[in-house]
Amino acid sequence: MSIFLNARDEAEALEKLHDAHCTDGLPVIIPTRERVQRLVLASGLDSDIVLGEMGPQWGAATVENVAIAAVMAGCLAEHMPVVVAAIRAICQPEFDLAEMQGTTHCIAPLLIVNGPARAACGGIASGFGALGPGHRANASIGRAVRLAMMNIGGARPGESDMALHGHPGKFTFCLAEDEEQSPFPPLHTSLGYGLEQSVVTVVGTEGPHSVLFTGDADDPLSAERLLNTIAKVIANPGSNNSHLGGRAAICVVLNPDHAEVLHNAGYTRETIQQALSERAVTPRADLEALNPRMLVGREEFIPAVRDPANIVLITAGGTGLYTMVMPSWCAGPHGNVAVHAEIELNQYCELPSARG
Amino acid sequence: MRDGIAIARNGIPAVAFVTSKFWPQGDFVAKAEGMPDVPRVQLPHPVAGIGREAMASLADSISEEVLQRLIDG
Repeated sequence: MSIFLNARDEAEALEKLHDAHCTDGLPVIIPTRERVQRLVLASGLDSDIVLGEMGPQWGAATVENVAIAAVMAGCLAEHMPVVVAAIRAICQPEFDLAEMQGTTHCIAPLLIVNGPARAACGGIASGFGALGPGHRANASIGRAVRLAMMNIGGARPGESDMALHGHPGKFTFCLAEDEEQSPFPPLHTSLGYGLEQSVVTVVGTEGPHSVLFTGDADDPLSAERLLNTIAKVIANPGSNNSHLGGRAAICVVLNPDHAEVLHNAGYTRETIQQALSERAVTPRADLEALNPRMLVGREEFIPAVRDPANIVLITAGGTGLYTMVMPSWCAGPHGNVAVHAEIELNQYCELPSARG
Repeated sequence: MRDGIAIARNGIPAVAFVTSKFWPQGDFVAKAEGMPDVPRVQLPHPVAGIGREAMASLADSISEEVLQRLIDG
């Protein structure tokens, strides 16, 4: 059940929402009853359906409560199927949402969208600057999830969200895979979904870390150099992934050029994951010299990601020199693994004046 | 705090150690988890990295309180 707030006008309502710590610090769209009902209608679901419970407060993520967050974030009706699926995903026990929200680490849920929803749900960007500003669907969908995490899940910085610094992805953190530019099958098909399905994959990560690499068509080892470079960034010796046992998922976002280099050398998603898992290692002595009391693992070379399947590999971004690695927290009862949920486009109720 | 709650839920007497900077968060979690009175002892902040001697001194200073919390349940 929602709590109603009374105000003379929208300006006063905005100030009251800021004062109640219900915003992310930026202005929000006031979640009037009419606006919320409109997004509930767009979801095609009853308002009181519970999508999950969100820790640490264990608030019920009803469709109505999620719609409130979506209105506040500026979502359009067509964004709702992705928001609903993302909430379902992060409420899965394997995601450890309560622990993730409370940790001192800077982890935030990265939303990756695959399938027809990329176009159907507002045009979720996957190219140049997909994780940056200027893409309405990416910005609004990711922000809706964050506002739900704050207002339903109860995460408040310095009170219940103890991230020492946070990171800008805690405002919004959403992109699509560039399936058209990728030489590899879409991520969701590697997870067992059909090509015609739409899926949001969520992995809790740090912000993007850049990997510099320039290809050389005359160099037969170009793909190997690229893999070695990515592996070096994954196995950053100062990271949680290197120290805390390597159980976590991470994300690697190849730009289309880099994906092509690997594809031309005969690599598949699976063989890239395998190669990165094998090469992203750090000599035990190097880690012992840094954080001896935090080190988990007894091998001579400690892997940053033990299970190759935990390297969430997609193609996105513009064409050029940079691939991105998103390291992760590597803690929590389930070890910071990725989760996914289908985006139910057949539930979506198209509204005639969606942009009105 | 979550560890203390999880252990207590398994029927094992437990006392959570919470540093002063995290005390309000500990209260939040205890309340949200439905165990607002779960035994806990406040430590100064920080504890990590203070050194063996300081750690031993800290342990001495709270040992009576920890025992009392265990006895009180």
